[in-house]
Amino acid sequence: MNLADAELNIPEGRLVRSRVGVASALEAALARNLTGYARIDPDSLLADGEPGVLTFAEGVPRAAYCERGGSHGSKRSESSETHRSDSRGVDALAALAGPGPCSVELYELPEGALEEVHDTPGFTVPPGAPAEELADEPALAERARERAPDDAGNADASALESFLENEERIAAIQEEARAEAERRAEEWGLDGELDE
Amino acid sequence: MVEALAVASGKGGVGKTTSTLALGMALADDHDVTVVDADTGMANLCFHTGLADADTTLQDLLLADADAAVEDAVYERFGLSLVPCGTSLAAFRDADATRLREVVAELATDTDVLLFDSAAALGSQSAVLPLVLADRTVVVLQPTIPSLSDGLKVQEYARSYGTETAGVLFNRVQDDEAIDRVAEQAEQYFGGPTLATVPESDAARAARRAGEPLLAYAPDSAAAAAYRRAADRLDLRDGDEGAVAERFRSAVIPEPP
Repeated sequence: MNLADAELNIPEGRLVRSRVGVASALEAALARNLTGYARIDPDSLLADGEPGVLTFAEGVPRAAYCERGGSHGSKRSESSETHRSDSRGVDALAALAGPGPCSVELYELPEGALEEVHDTPGFTVPPGAPAEELADEPALAERARERAPDDAGNADASALESFLENEERIAAIQEEARAEAERRAEEWGLDGELDE
Repeated sequence: MVEALAVASGKGGVGKTTSTLALGMALADDHDVTVVDADTGMANLCFHTGLADADTTLQDLLLADADAAVEDAVYERFGLSLVPCGTSLAAFRDADATRLREVVAELATDTDVLLFDSAAALGSQSAVLPLVLADRTVVVLQPTIPSLSDGLKVQEYARSYGTETAGVLFNRVQDDEAIDRVAEQAEQYFGGPTLATVPESDAARAARRAGEPLLAYAPDSAAAAAYRRAADRLDLRDGDEGAVAERFRSAVIPEPP
């Protein structure tokens, strides 16, 4: 992924975990006090295959970027570009969240390598948000918040609000669910009960 | 009979059973309310109501060779008629979920409001049956993306059986400021209004440990007050009891393959 375009210059790190889920990656980052980043590839059919990146400082999530999801007209977009197709900070979490698992690779970087990235406004995420919104792990989110420095992650709005602004994405989730419900009704012999 | 409502969430851990009982107790001020633990795979209404040792449960009524009468599994507690579900794995395996409609039809003749505490996951016929049998659903959400995604999914499952959303309940809310914006945004995707936003509460956990519903254990808590507001906002629809019971009986649900 070309992170240079995103003004988020992340050096190439050393791979420490591959092919794990988001919860395992967040757990591992916290356990080893990782400074580095996770590359997140959604497996869901609803995703269009574009990956995202989540950075860490001493095990705590700090910044996020995703190459899609930014074109739904977020009211809070800090950029004047109206057709931007990437997303940043909590918007990036919203683009990566939702149904379906992800494959994650975890990379380590030398201490201080991400200082500039973490000082760049607009990419910041609240420390507990990735565990809560991507992994559905409130206890892990709480541990990340406890470990975070006091000034970490003061985003104005939440990933959830960004998610709810994306009408197309929600329509896709609803269509997928409706199709799944009808398919399963047939499997379970309940198709006679379906509302025509 | 007024209405049968399925309380559903699409995922676990959102406080669905706590919410079902709290709504039930709040509605019981004006109505006869029967709460059925229709989460036959992971029954836990009994643990919230001190009925863990109940002799006869819904499980006994769902056995193919059931000799228990429906009334044997109804317990009058906390101003509610409660139908707990047992937790025996063997009985769950032998249970015939399709008998639920018979049980519901009988219960419907003798109550105003039927509340089904529904399964969290949508992975089986028995998990979906409460959504099929109910008139409408109450969707319980936590303000996170996974919970909203699953809530949207459960709403679509219910809608595919003609069961609309009566309202949405946001539970375990921590950020009071953000929740109003989130609830307003979410309303455009759900078929009913936001009934209430219920704050995260130690009282709910303590009530569960004590084996009592929240409204009995901590009636003056902020969470209990929120559930009473939710019950007030729930616009119940009057149905003819005979017709409702007949609808449950005539639901064309075939035997499992």
